[in-house]
Amino acid sequence: MTAVATPPPAGPAPGAAPGTGQEPGTADSAGGGRRSRRGLTPYWLLLPAGLWLAVFFVAPLFYQASTSVQSGSLEEGFRVTWQFSNYTDALGTYGEHFLRSFGYAAVATALCLLIGYPLAYMIAVRAGRWRNLLLVLVIAPFFTSFLIRTLAWKTILSDGGPVVAVLSSLHILDVTGWLGLTGDDRVLATPLAVVCGLTYNFLPFMILPLYSSLERMDTSLLEAARDLYATPSTTFRKVTFPLSLPGVVAGTLLTFIPASGDYINAQLLGSPNEQMVGNAIQKQFLNVLDYPTAAAMSFILMALILIMVSGYLRKAGTEELV
Amino acid sequence: MTITLSGISKTFGDVTAVQPLDLTVPEGTFFALLGASGCGKTTTLRMIAGLEEPTSGSILLGDEDITRLPPHKRPVNTVFQNYALFPHLDVAENIAFGLRRRGVKSVRKQVAEMLDLVQLGDMARRRPRQLSGGQQQRVALARALINRPQVLLLDEPLGALDLKLRRQMQLELKRIQTEVGITFVHVTHDQEEAMTMADGVAVMHGGRVVQLGPPAELYENPRSTFVANFLGTSNLIEAELLSGAPASGGAAPEAGAGNGAPDEAGDGAEVRVKVVETGDPLRLPAARCSAESVPPGGRVLVGVRPEKISLARTDEAGTVPPEVPDGRNRLTGRIRDASYLGVSWQYLVETPTCELTVYEQNVERDSRLAPGAHVVLHWRPAHTFALDADQDAHAGEEAL
Repeated sequence: MTAVATPPPAGPAPGAAPGTGQEPGTADSAGGGRRSRRGLTPYWLLLPAGLWLAVFFVAPLFYQASTSVQSGSLEEGFRVTWQFSNYTDALGTYGEHFLRSFGYAAVATALCLLIGYPLAYMIAVRAGRWRNLLLVLVIAPFFTSFLIRTLAWKTILSDGGPVVAVLSSLHILDVTGWLGLTGDDRVLATPLAVVCGLTYNFLPFMILPLYSSLERMDTSLLEAARDLYATPSTTFRKVTFPLSLPGVVAGTLLTFIPASGDYINAQLLGSPNEQMVGNAIQKQFLNVLDYPTAAAMSFILMALILIMVSGYLRKAGTEELV
Repeated sequence: MTITLSGISKTFGDVTAVQPLDLTVPEGTFFALLGASGCGKTTTLRMIAGLEEPTSGSILLGDEDITRLPPHKRPVNTVFQNYALFPHLDVAENIAFGLRRRGVKSVRKQVAEMLDLVQLGDMARRRPRQLSGGQQQRVALARALINRPQVLLLDEPLGALDLKLRRQMQLELKRIQTEVGITFVHVTHDQEEAMTMADGVAVMHGGRVVQLGPPAELYENPRSTFVANFLGTSNLIEAELLSGAPASGGAAPEAGAGNGAPDEAGDGAEVRVKVVETGDPLRLPAARCSAESVPPGGRVLVGVRPEKISLARTDEAGTVPPEVPDGRNRLTGRIRDASYLGVSWQYLVETPTCELTVYEQNVERDSRLAPGAHVVLHWRPAHTFALDADQDAHAGEEAL
């Protein structure tokens, strides 16, 4: 055969990307100062956020830190006496509250994952043209206030309400009662109600990151797995789930952290037996007016969450993932 | 293993991606599905892989009907267009994926063998994104081949590589195919790639196979303007059919007298046509006329490949110079443009009917062949083909 006639198309020459995004700053005529101004632009842009953080986060943090080692009373005034026993006292008195908070938050996070994953997967992969509508529905609860929604749950779960009737007639309440989640054939003012409220309120924070990581997953990877003899369930275990891990990690953090500090759900849906650490802190601040103990508890909560989260992130080891 | 597609089609909503088509890919061949994007070639491949379910028809692998088998149960593997390597697994685990899913316990030896085959021995612990495009391509190939599939499907596997690497991988793929002896079905839009590698090519257009055969046959004897233009370049000249083939047995005085083109018809049956504008007579073997339904007096498109044409300088009157042998098809024209391509010169020659492209090998070039020169274009009748004029003469030209 003779030489092929058409000259082969030249390979696409990768166009050199224009220099790294040094966007021109304000095109001013300041002459000499131009270059240095351009270099400073990012810092000027950071200034508002930096100021905000300094005034509303860093300063209160230091103020609170100093409060947590004070002693005294409201009448006599509080003074910094480096009283670290505030911390040990708080842990001793409210250890149970801490445990309960993390327990409830963990269960609610697990439930959110179980409910949210299939939903996020469906929206990301199967929903087609319904996708945007479904996403709006996911965030629709945010159009009313957190407090109102939780109050609504109070009605839904009330003793004479439909939920109790259904659960009771299906004998599910017997099972949850045996597990210690409910008592006296009621749902309101039980651990179950608090966990349900937490799950409901934080579900969107789980769904959205899951959705975004599932949505940008390359579907040809799933086809490749199926092509390489993976059954649908193996494909999920070996490809889909590992690739969605960044979303799982983000979603669990966004759920677990605020849920462990939450006090509205325990306040409205629980009884004194379901009080979480948030309720205890609130009481110390607003009712008992023991500011040092309240501040110490806040710091303990922060520290414990920080420790748990860093341990979790190390274990999840997501740095290699796309 | 032989693949037999019978009457398979695929429609997506209102769009028919693949018209009912029959295709047999013989065992152990390197087979190419060639066509422009949207011609249905990838859909056909995906139906063989099981990633799309055919709307109708059946797929046989050997004697087994695999039409309804889910992809993970088919002894067929695919090299995907974007490679689809698992980003969370390293190279060795990517390659071992298929074996592990089938419960093979010790994969280390086989993985090492595959890494050697694709020459990536020291990359086993890298992640896919740490590899170059060519290396990723090899991993994708190894990941499919390690399963020893009955058929390997390749979906534009070289599309993302630059030209040099693509050439190199073409040879590599061909070497590997010969080495493992598996049937390869290769989807590509690059006619050069299909010609270099494949034993058989099916040219697809608009969801149909328009012509099927070995690359040389497709190139030398296209049966439609699409194939004529899509594979290489063709000069198509509008002409009127003078005589059908069978009647005039003795009308070929010098048939076989030349140096015997391989595809010259043994019986010398010829078809005669005349160029519409000028009345110049042209001849071609009956076997190369695919305008069977055109009656004498009807229109045909006479085609000739640019490299088959020779140029001879002449005067304004078009006197045939003595060096032009008798019995060749002749047209006269004027050179409009000449450009140097390295291995050859490309001339654009204006004739009264149309502009013709001519490639002349860069040997003993007549320096008088410059723009403006009057020339005689001449070529062997055996290198001429004819197509039904009832189709778009420019089909497939811009198909890339």
